[in-house]
Formats: sequence, structure tokens, C-alpha cells
Amino acid sequence: MRFWLLPLILLGEIALFTALSGQSFSPASGATSYFRSYFADLLCQSAPVLLLAFGMTVILMTAGIDLSAGSMVALVACAMASFPAGPGFWWTAVPAGLALALLLGATNGALIAWLDVPPIIATLGTMILYRGLCFVVMGDLEKSPFLNVPAYEWLGQPGGAALLLALTFALGGCWLKRSRWLREILMLGGNPVAARYAGIPASRRIVQVYTLAGGLAFLAALAFTARNSSVSASSLTGLELQVIVAVVLGGTRVQGGAGSLLGSFYGVLIIAVMDEGLRGAAQWGARNLPFKLSHLEYILLGLLLVVGVWLNTRGRKPADNRPPG
Amino acid sequence: MTHGRFSPSLRRRLLFLLIGNVVLLLAIAVTMKQGGSFADVLTRCGPDVAPVVLAGIGMTGIICTGAIDLSIASIIVVAGTVFGILARRQMPPLLCFAACVGTALLLSITNGLLIRALRLPAIIITLAGLALYRGVALVLADVAIPGFGGSIDLPRDEYHSPGKQFATPLLLLALGGALIWEWFAVTPRRWLALGSSEEACRLAGLNPHAIRRSAFAVGGLFLGLAALLYVTQIQFIEPARLALGFELQVIGAVILGGTNIFGGEGGYGGTALGALFLYFTGQWMTYAGISPYFQEAITGAIIIGVIGLDCGLHRRRKRMEELA
Repeated sequence: MRFWLLPLILLGEIALFTALSGQSFSPASGATSYFRSYFADLLCQSAPVLLLAFGMTVILMTAGIDLSAGSMVALVACAMASFPAGPGFWWTAVPAGLALALLLGATNGALIAWLDVPPIIATLGTMILYRGLCFVVMGDLEKSPFLNVPAYEWLGQPGGAALLLALTFALGGCWLKRSRWLREILMLGGNPVAARYAGIPASRRIVQVYTLAGGLAFLAALAFTARNSSVSASSLTGLELQVIVAVVLGGTRVQGGAGSLLGSFYGVLIIAVMDEGLRGAAQWGARNLPFKLSHLEYILLGLLLVVGVWLNTRGRKPADNRPPG
Repeated sequence: MTHGRFSPSLRRRLLFLLIGNVVLLLAIAVTMKQGGSFADVLTRCGPDVAPVVLAGIGMTGIICTGAIDLSIASIIVVAGTVFGILARRQMPPLLCFAACVGTALLLSITNGLLIRALRLPAIIITLAGLALYRGVALVLADVAIPGFGGSIDLPRDEYHSPGKQFATPLLLLALGGALIWEWFAVTPRRWLALGSSEEACRLAGLNPHAIRRSAFAVGGLFLGLAALLYVTQIQFIEPARLALGFELQVIGAVILGGTNIFGGEGGYGGTALGALFLYFTGQWMTYAGISPYFQEAITGAIIIGVIGLDCGLHRRRKRMEELA
């Protein structure tokens, strides 16, 4: 993992897109307020993805994967949206959403740990199942009780988003970094047989990891619904791939056994900045390019992923970057 | 331990799918309302299931080697866009069809080459391809079609003949050829060998990279056929929305068909049966009057149920092997 690489890409992107968007800072004081609102927006916008990326990083460390993340957030949001609005929402819908999210995550974990289904298959199945349940709960409706819940909107504003992110990344990350739990997870991902011989309760750890991811999906659902204020059964389709791309870009190995929470944080921001920047530079693109600039996003995303991962694995010993398949 | 061509678990899965398909067909026949014709179900089945089966056959070979291709939906989009651009310029239909298949073949081979050249896992390369190829298709359409508004329409009928008239014969021909080839040829056995152990493969004097490349090349050929049948069945080609989630549908059919997601075990027959099973399940739910809102959930539950049960039953033996 090269620590300077990701922040450097991020800074380069911000500089490039700020230049392309045609923003001018004639009084230098304008720059401060511009960047303040820019980063506040960025943080709110990407809070759900950041929260999911935290869980996905830990899952990838165990050599697992979670394709159901997007469906899980959507299902939790749909379930919460079915409750009546009002002050009581905090005491009914929110705990129910948390319980549901933990249950969904634990279901993934149980399938993987106790039934021995490979993670990619188990979560592919639950991805379809959870998305199907969204339609069972919501039908074709789009609901938005979140607008009429006191103080709910605050969660989607910079203060709330910062609080959620600080809770997970700063507090959770610092605790995890020193914890025995994370060491056991990494060992489990690096060599499951050795981990079992070493007396690590493998099944229990796996269930814990996926339940943790469920809890984070609940927080992501809070952040998403607070900002977008309405949800439908097909919300957040394809979110899981976005999260996986970001995490992998951040230097976490899909083969497990290594990973970086900070890297995932940068990975999400790099993609979010690109997304936002291309939108801001649309006018420049319309003048100078024969195609829509927004269509370039897919290409850049793919290139970024390959180049980022390639640069990250290049310095390793040959045994490490042999393609496992 | 020897168990012939198919391992016991694969044989059990094939038997389950075979019986399951027959039961589903019977169930469809029973629940069919007055006026519905059973022959209709069977004739519609060919074109509907052809893209998934053909793409699944390609994917089966790739998964057997222990790799995976997540970019197939985006490859279909590029192939479809190339096809649409040529068709809009009134090129002869046969040329358009060849270009469609050729594009998919080329991109799949590129995937295989990139995995070797960059020494990255297949899942990463093809995850990048998933985004990248769709972008390439959109930019291509933007550049090649003046006033491109998001969709390419194909007005004339001769551009639809493979998907609308010849889908079933093409599917049967390709499937039959694939099954015979799989039974007699050496290459599919090499894919299984590579999926079982790359190290053993290398020590036995086989070139793992060449084997993986061949899996992607053959996969690309079948994917090209799938793309051709997919895009000639529809009236409009929308590069931004075409075939979204198709890769997961295909992977679902492949693993339901008994192919081991980590490689080394599996076959074309299982994949075809798996795709049919999922298709008939959907058809039966429609005929039985199950609310469309429940259908996706039930499909997911079936995938989890079948595979979860199978994995759960083998858990003890696998643990013992692992620790032995």
C-alpha cells in the first residue's frame, strides 16, 4: 500500500476539476467558502458509500465479498419508510430498521459460516432476495415519511454526516486498528486453515463480520434517507459495485488477508470527486468534446481501478501478485 | 478417489435440475389457464433463454479455470452498439452480425490478455471492464451517430432475423456442438485441471496462461452469439441501460448448474439446465398468478435454498479434507 498515492490522486482530481468547472477565485477569500461548501457537499453525498465501504473492507479482509450491500440498504430504508411519520418514528422505525439490518447481515454470515456457501454466491443470492423483498414491502410506491420526522433531516446535513462518519471511521477505525479482533479477521482471510488450527473461532468471527456490515448498512440507510428523503424499491441498484470498486481502489486485496480502512475512505472520495467533477465540467465538455462528458465516467472509473490496483500491487514480491484466477 | 467424469455432487445437482425442470414443466401445464397453449410455452422458451444459456456456456469455461468474467453485460453492450451503428449505416446484415460476434470475441480475449499482462486477479480486471466497456459503448454511440439521444433503433426486419426467427435452431446447434466438444476435446479438461490446481498444471508441463487465454477466447465466442441473439430480439439498443445485471443472472445459472465458483468442477450441461430451471420457475410463477412483486424474492430464495442445502450437506466432508 502506497500511502501517498491515493491522496495525491485525490488532490490532482480536485485541482483538475476545479479548473475545468470554470470557477474563478478573483477575491482569494472566495476560495475558502467555495472549498468549505464543496467538501461539506462531498461528505454528505458520499456518506452512505463511505459507511458501506467500512463494512466491505472488513469483509474483503476475510476473503469474502458482499454483493448484497446495496439491496440491504434499500430494504432497510424501505422497511423504515413503511412506518408512519411523526416523533414516534425515532422509537419505532429506527430500532426496527437496526434490528432488521443486523438480521439481514447475520443471515449472510450464517449462510457463509454455517452452511459453507462461498461468499460471492451467498450474497449474490441474498442480493436478489433482499431486492425482491423491497418490492414485496413497497410495490411500485415511492414513500417519504422522513420529511415529517423531527430532526431527521439533520442526519443528512454536514453535521450529521460528519457525526456518523466520525463514529465509524475515527472511533471504530482507531479501536479496530489495535484490536485483537481485527488481527484474527486478517489471519482468517490470509489462511483460514491456519486460523482454525490457531484456535480462532472462525465461524463466529465470520458471522460477526457480516453482522457488523449489516449494522453499517443501517447507518448508510439513515444517511441516504435523510439526504434523499424518499425511497422506492429500486433505489440504490448497483451500489454494491460502486462500493467494491472504491474499496479495491483503496488497496484492499480481494484475496483477503490485507486491507486498509483509510485507503477505502480515499477510494470512495476519489470516485465521488470524479463523479461530481464531471458533472461540474459538463459545459467545458460540450464545447470541446464530440461526446457527452458524463459518459467518460465509466471509462475513467475502469481505468482508475485497474491502474490503482496495479500500482498498489507492483512493488510486492512475485508470489503475492501472481493472478490467482 | 475416482468418480468418472462427474463428481457425485455434480451428478446429484444434474439429477436435481433434470427432475426439477420436468416438475416445473408439469406444474406449468397444470396451472395453465384456459386458452393458454403449452406448445406456446415451449416455443417461446428457446428465444427467451438463449442469451443466458449461451453466455452461461462461455462463463462456465471461464469459471472452470478459476477465473470469472463480470464484464459480460458490458461486452454485450459494446457488441450491440457496434451492431446498431453498422445497421444504422445500412451495412449488409451479415456483416453487422459478424461485427457483433467479433466485437464480443475481441473484448473477451482482451480480458484474458490483460489478466496475464497486468498480473491482476480476473475479478478485478473484469470489474474494471464492467464500467469501462459500457463507457466505451456510450462514447462510440456519441461519436458515430449524429444526434445520439440515448437509444439506437433498428427499423428493418432483416436485422432481427437471428433473434426473432432463428434463435431456437441457433441455440440448439450451439448447445449441441458445445456438449459434444466438451465430451471429446482436451481443452475443457485442461480448464478443469487449471481450476483444480494452477501449480500442478504448471508442474505437469501445461501452460496455465495459455489455458486461461483459451477459456476466455471460447467464452468470447459463445458470448458473441449470446450478444447477437440478445440485441436482435429487441427494438431499441440503449447503451446506458441494456443488459443491466445480466452478468449476475448468468453467474446464477452457472452456479445453480453445479459449476464450482472456485473452478475445477462443472460443465455445460449443468449450466443449460440451471438457466432453464430459473426460466421455468419464473414462467410457473407467472402462470400460477403469483404477484410479480414476490417473484424476484422467490427466485433469490430458490438460489440460496438449492445451493445452501448442497453446501451445508457437504460441510463435514469438506472440513475433513481441509484439515487432512
